[in-house]
Amino acid sequence: MIFNNICRVAKRELVQISKRPIYIISTIVALLFCYLFFFTLMSEGLPERLPIGVADLDNSVISARLCREINSTQATEIVIKESSFTALREEMQRGKIYGIMVIPHNFYSDLLSGKNPTLSFYINNSYLIAGTLAYRDLLSMSVLSNAAYRREVLKAKGYNERDAMGIIQPIIIDNHQIGNSWSNYGIYLLNVLLPGVLQLLVLMSTVYSVGMELKFRSANEWLKCSGGSIVKAVTGKLLPYSILFIIAGLAGNVFMYKVMGYPMNGSFTVIAISTVIFVLAHQAIGVFMVGLFPVLRLATSFAALYGILSFTYAGFTFPIEAMPPLAQGASYLFPLRYYFLVYTREALFASDFSMLVLPLTAMASFIALPLVVIKRLKKAILNGNYSIK
Amino acid sequence: MTSIIKDIYWTLKNELKQVLRDSGVMTIFIVAGVLYPLLYNGIYRNEAVYEIPVAVVDKSASAQSRRYIKKLDATPEVRVKYMANDMEEASKLFKERSINGIVLIPQDYHIKLANREQAHISIYNDMSSFLYYKNLMMAANYTMLDEMAVEYNHVALFNSGGGFSSFLLPALLILIIHQTLFFGIGMIAGTASEESIHHTQIPEHLYGKGIFRVVAGKAACYFSIYSFISVWALIVIPDIFGLPSIGNKITLILFIVPFLLATIFFSMAVSVFIKNRETGIISFLFVTLLLLFLSGFSWPASNMPQIWRWLSYIFPSTHGVQGYIKINSAAAELQHVRFEYVSLWIQAAVYSIFAALSLNFMVNRDLKRFKLNSEVPHNR
Repeated sequence: MIFNNICRVAKRELVQISKRPIYIISTIVALLFCYLFFFTLMSEGLPERLPIGVADLDNSVISARLCREINSTQATEIVIKESSFTALREEMQRGKIYGIMVIPHNFYSDLLSGKNPTLSFYINNSYLIAGTLAYRDLLSMSVLSNAAYRREVLKAKGYNERDAMGIIQPIIIDNHQIGNSWSNYGIYLLNVLLPGVLQLLVLMSTVYSVGMELKFRSANEWLKCSGGSIVKAVTGKLLPYSILFIIAGLAGNVFMYKVMGYPMNGSFTVIAISTVIFVLAHQAIGVFMVGLFPVLRLATSFAALYGILSFTYAGFTFPIEAMPPLAQGASYLFPLRYYFLVYTREALFASDFSMLVLPLTAMASFIALPLVVIKRLKKAILNGNYSIK
Repeated sequence: MTSIIKDIYWTLKNELKQVLRDSGVMTIFIVAGVLYPLLYNGIYRNEAVYEIPVAVVDKSASAQSRRYIKKLDATPEVRVKYMANDMEEASKLFKERSINGIVLIPQDYHIKLANREQAHISIYNDMSSFLYYKNLMMAANYTMLDEMAVEYNHVALFNSGGGFSSFLLPALLILIIHQTLFFGIGMIAGTASEESIHHTQIPEHLYGKGIFRVVAGKAACYFSIYSFISVWALIVIPDIFGLPSIGNKITLILFIVPFLLATIFFSMAVSVFIKNRETGIISFLFVTLLLLFLSGFSWPASNMPQIWRWLSYIFPSTHGVQGYIKINSAAAELQHVRFEYVSLWIQAAVYSIFAALSLNFMVNRDLKRFKLNSEVPHNR
């Protein structure tokens, strides 16, 4: 009996969807497009061959060799050579280059006379990612190249290779990346961006499908269809979307971890389960918003604000603990935050299951949220005394 | 000539009245346009992550290794929170998320240094956030360079603090203006379409070719509202919150004009697809994210696949973000942003034609509906 009513509402929803298929089609197309866009946008993993400029004031054999060596690294590529710094600075202001290296006047002669010439480099941090990467490359090139020429001088003095390097660079830092061993920027972003896009679409479609019943005054008929039970009415209505979005979310998981081979050091099942909870939680939030503001426009605006803020509060670009204390608290209100915690702990670091209990429970508890407003929503349906604008 | 000005002025006044009366549109324009910049500045106020907790596994336990650890702890980037006995203990702390990185100094560290051989230090980075990775990598390398006394000289020419909000906020501010205009104008057009009243809002003598005057009048209305919001978001806010604002203000204003015009006409042109009051936000919200990444402020434009670069040129936001960052954060003059500046004027011109076409289409559609209804009034 219960299921009969829910099924009847679900069927009614399917009929409505098929009458105006444009909305559901555009949702699916939007999701696919976002997947395609972000995967292809960052297919390089890390930005390579970032354009930089060199001011070669020395113009010697050695400075020319240094330029060739910079060009042979993966991260940067010299696209402009000028004889003055000012011209290069203007190129940087034009956004054509992210870094500038200045090879001083007496570079070669200083090296020959055993002095330690200083290379200068300038970077543009307005583009933080490109700036940081160019910085890392230029720093290591200037340290290493200096070292390389000094090594030759030392070798000429009779030191062997190993001793020479011990004098020039006594300490070496070996970088290891826990979880994401390729230090791939795409992997780092996509694991949160794609669920982020999914949650925007889930929120919007939920708010729209419930809110338009109120707006176009078909809500009474909707409620009748479920035998007067608001819980069944909501469940039945959202069921087709639940199935659609869960499939979409899981397809994203499979594509990322199984097809593209993104790091998965824990269990795929845990991520899949959290994806299911993630979708249901956002449907619940959508219902909550319509219940809170039974006016479609208000609910939409509010859901939009919330959905966009989710990206900030996931804390994957800027960590939550670095925010001002007053701003930190809000992070508890976003399932995307919990999804991010589950993903890092399970997929990246393979932490104990005990580390997942809290975020998974928190995420699941959002599903109960509609209960808070269900009476209010029913009243709005029965009275129909809301403005439509 | 006077009749043109009269018509434009009349539309402007009429449109302004409608906007002011529409609480939904006002919420988007005023509340979102004014409050979003404040909100995001509040959240990202700290600019950077300082003193991330790390664990050190000191197998060498020598004077040399202790000196390295002390210097590492002294950097603003990291804080040595735990001294772990072995990697197992450190990795347990890591999995419990008590630390965001591990530094391992091997047993032979001091011996190798004494023998003038190369000693290795291993760092294990937390890859859950780019900033954790950046912090530990920088701190370990600075300390290494300090121990080596290498001569080098580096300057971060623009955004010299390497701040996160100084990097993100300029792009966000432009996008906030772009998207609130887009959703607001979409809501205005959606409402008119929903109620089939495009034609009643426009005097009959302006149908057809005269529609350009209506487009100009409406654009003038949005432009006058957004000239205030733009000054607030793009000039006042950066000053209040200490974001980069080293650009020439006149240059900035000269640049904002075509950006606003292009965005307004673009939004008016696209609004033909918006059938209801709310569908603009519902259908196009996710585009906000795409526009942010298409603008090339994060993943460099030079490294995008060509097809996405071409796509990005369609949107005023791309040129707006690039031009604004260059002028405001890197003190570029108009000649340095010639490409963006010219592109925005071209967009403004092209989209104004499309805006006229789309408005004409909407008027005709509503007119047809109206006639249909009045011919057979009893069928309803």
